[in-house]
Amino acid sequence: MFWSKIWLFLVALAAAVAVTIALVLPRPAQRATLEEETTRLRVACGVVNVVLSDNARNRVELVGTFAREADVEAALGDASGAEKLDDNRMKSVRAIGQRLMKSIHGAQQPAFAILVDRRGRVVARAGVEEDDYGDVVAGRPLIDDALAGYLRDDLWLQGGSLFFVSASPVVKRESSGTTYAGAVVLGYKATNEVASKLVISPNVNVGFFVGADGVATSTTVAIESSPLVASVKQLTGPELAEDCRSNAPVDVPASGETYRAIAARLPGEAGRRGAFFSVFTPQPSAVGFMATLKQVTKSDLGGGFPWPLVGGGFVLALVIGIVLMLLEADRPLRRLTADSVRLAKGETDRLSETAHGGKFGSIARSVNIHVDKLAREAKSAKKDFDQLLGPAPEGSLGTIDLLAGGLPPPRTGAPSTPPPSEFKFQTSAAPMLPSRPTPVSAPVAAVAPPRAPAPAAPAARPGTPPPMPGVAPASTAPMSLRLDDDILGAPSASISFAAPAPAPAPAPAPATTGDTGANVDPYFKSVYDQFLSVKKSCNEPTTGLSYAKFAEKLVKNRDDLMAKTGCREVRFTVYVKDGKAALKATPVKDE
Amino acid sequence: MAVAAVATPAAAGTVSGKLDLPPRPARGVADPKGFLERIENPYKPAGDVPVAPFLVVVLDGEAKPSAPPQVTWELAGESFLHPVIAAPAGAEISIKNTSKTARMLAAVEDGKLIPPGPINPGGPKSFRVTEVGKIYSVHDSEAPHLRGTIVVVATPFIAYVDDAGHFELPDVAPGDYKARVFYKDAWLDVEQAVTVPTKGKVDVTLKVLAFAPAAKK
Repeated sequence: MFWSKIWLFLVALAAAVAVTIALVLPRPAQRATLEEETTRLRVACGVVNVVLSDNARNRVELVGTFAREADVEAALGDASGAEKLDDNRMKSVRAIGQRLMKSIHGAQQPAFAILVDRRGRVVARAGVEEDDYGDVVAGRPLIDDALAGYLRDDLWLQGGSLFFVSASPVVKRESSGTTYAGAVVLGYKATNEVASKLVISPNVNVGFFVGADGVATSTTVAIESSPLVASVKQLTGPELAEDCRSNAPVDVPASGETYRAIAARLPGEAGRRGAFFSVFTPQPSAVGFMATLKQVTKSDLGGGFPWPLVGGGFVLALVIGIVLMLLEADRPLRRLTADSVRLAKGETDRLSETAHGGKFGSIARSVNIHVDKLAREAKSAKKDFDQLLGPAPEGSLGTIDLLAGGLPPPRTGAPSTPPPSEFKFQTSAAPMLPSRPTPVSAPVAAVAPPRAPAPAAPAARPGTPPPMPGVAPASTAPMSLRLDDDILGAPSASISFAAPAPAPAPAPAPATTGDTGANVDPYFKSVYDQFLSVKKSCNEPTTGLSYAKFAEKLVKNRDDLMAKTGCREVRFTVYVKDGKAALKATPVKDE
Repeated sequence: MAVAAVATPAAAGTVSGKLDLPPRPARGVADPKGFLERIENPYKPAGDVPVAPFLVVVLDGEAKPSAPPQVTWELAGESFLHPVIAAPAGAEISIKNTSKTARMLAAVEDGKLIPPGPINPGGPKSFRVTEVGKIYSVHDSEAPHLRGTIVVVATPFIAYVDDAGHFELPDVAPGDYKARVFYKDAWLDVEQAVTVPTKGKVDVTLKVLAFAPAAKK
């Protein structure tokens, strides 16, 4: 079994390794998926930055064109020279602005235009708060730079909305020279439509936020912005364009789902006030073992899949396992089984301890030990019977002989004994058993404890009365039950017959009185009569011997013998031993 | 524009002067900038950084304001009309918001200087400054570009400078004064004695070597 165990261990180890690999393999895939998703987000974030920058360039170019309009130059030049602005000037300048705005089509059309004079005053607005004018917008970096001669872009927050703005100086070109006449500002509102146009990758959404407030998004999904705000707060680098690469993705709950998002700061005034944008995508589903299995297709199992390797390994493992099982379990077990059957049939008295190895040898040794124990117990039991009953009469049905004959001899014993199937009491249905011609078997005699030599035949003893009629001849190993003297009526009341007297035989009336006739068992009475008769024939005194006492003793000894042997009944035989009447008890057990 | 309301002395002169300014500081990088770096227009060189709105000239002398004056500080939209003002100690400063946007102003150095709450369009908000030499930086947390500076002085004679560097102080009580120049958020290393006659005009030229704060003595 050693190699079978080793093989089982190896197969279990291989299975554990295979299971571990199967469970571990999806993890790198999961990690790779997340990394891929993160890369996709970073790329999308960077692309949004690039597109926003590109849009800013277009807006700056457009506002430059706007500012070069002759009407604008003239109007703002005049306004700059005026000490006070009025409605008429405002309306005329506003009309110019509205006209120019209408001339721009498509996505380039701004949401508003602000025309500012050289002093920084708003001369007119178009598209937003059109009736307001005269307020100073100088001070805002975009306006200050434009009034100083720079074209640039910025992001403003106005009334809770985010605007992409661009400004250009208005340079009045005259033959006398060029002067700054003011500035023009064009504004574009960040709307959901604008955010949608920034989506360049499927399932990647774009949103604009100011603090925790979402101002525009490309999707209807309302995402929780607090994780994004926390993420943006960690960004401290001076280069905003690096945010997409340096900021870590965060998980953001949204409408019962979880999104993976990267946030990046927006520049300009709005950026100073916490404006940022985010790209986010539904979190990729977990790639566990079962999820991986679900993704397996037919093509995965065909083509290059190493089926021969897998099948060959399986068959090899199976063959080795079967061979080891045959060598170490099946064959030894069959040998032990056959050996046990031989033992059961009596073809052998013990299991071979050398023919069986390992655990099977241990089993054989254990069985042998038990068999030896049973033999010892049987021997002890026989000895007890001998002590109880005395040596069995010659030819009698020796219970002890029968028991001993059913057991194997000690290890050092000689020839084999009858098989266990024959372990049974050999009983006779007849009340008086016929004498057996020979002992049950030679081994019984061999294992039986030494007994007193069987009494000689009655005829061999001179003066011995002849056998009683009806009494079976005594066996060679009579088993006598010596009754108490007081029961038998004299210290030497034990009467020995030369041969067992046949029973029952009519006996003369008892020498003693006391027999009432009531409750008289016919069998005990016949035995009593035989015993009394033999006793008389042996010239033994019968004074004091009464049937009641005799029967009482027989009942007691019968019960003892039945309790000890489990027999169904007990037969009593009267015989002569050493010139005196004797009585033997024989347990009878039906099949 | 800041207006100092002081009692006119019986005999007073006028101090007229000019600041001899150094080259204007170069315009720094756009801050904050947008997605792009700013681009200079191709027709005319970009203008210098304006300095005049940030310059204040004061005459320090023995004359003290007869009554606490009131100074009006106009908030004209996205900036103060004078981003830097000087106020005599004890003066009440009234911020007048002439823009159409409510503002939440506060002084960095003293959060309780300006009464809390928004300054609504058209509505003033007043407070008093008392500590001579104190400089307050006023800002709107929701409009980082909106900043103003108040410097508290011990004299009622305060003048602001035009783009050419000229200034004029009328009704100055006769006496000896020291002319000093404040720029943006610090005193410049300019100090000139000025004697104001009982009547007439005194021309003063103050030479500013650099737009750098004076070394502390």
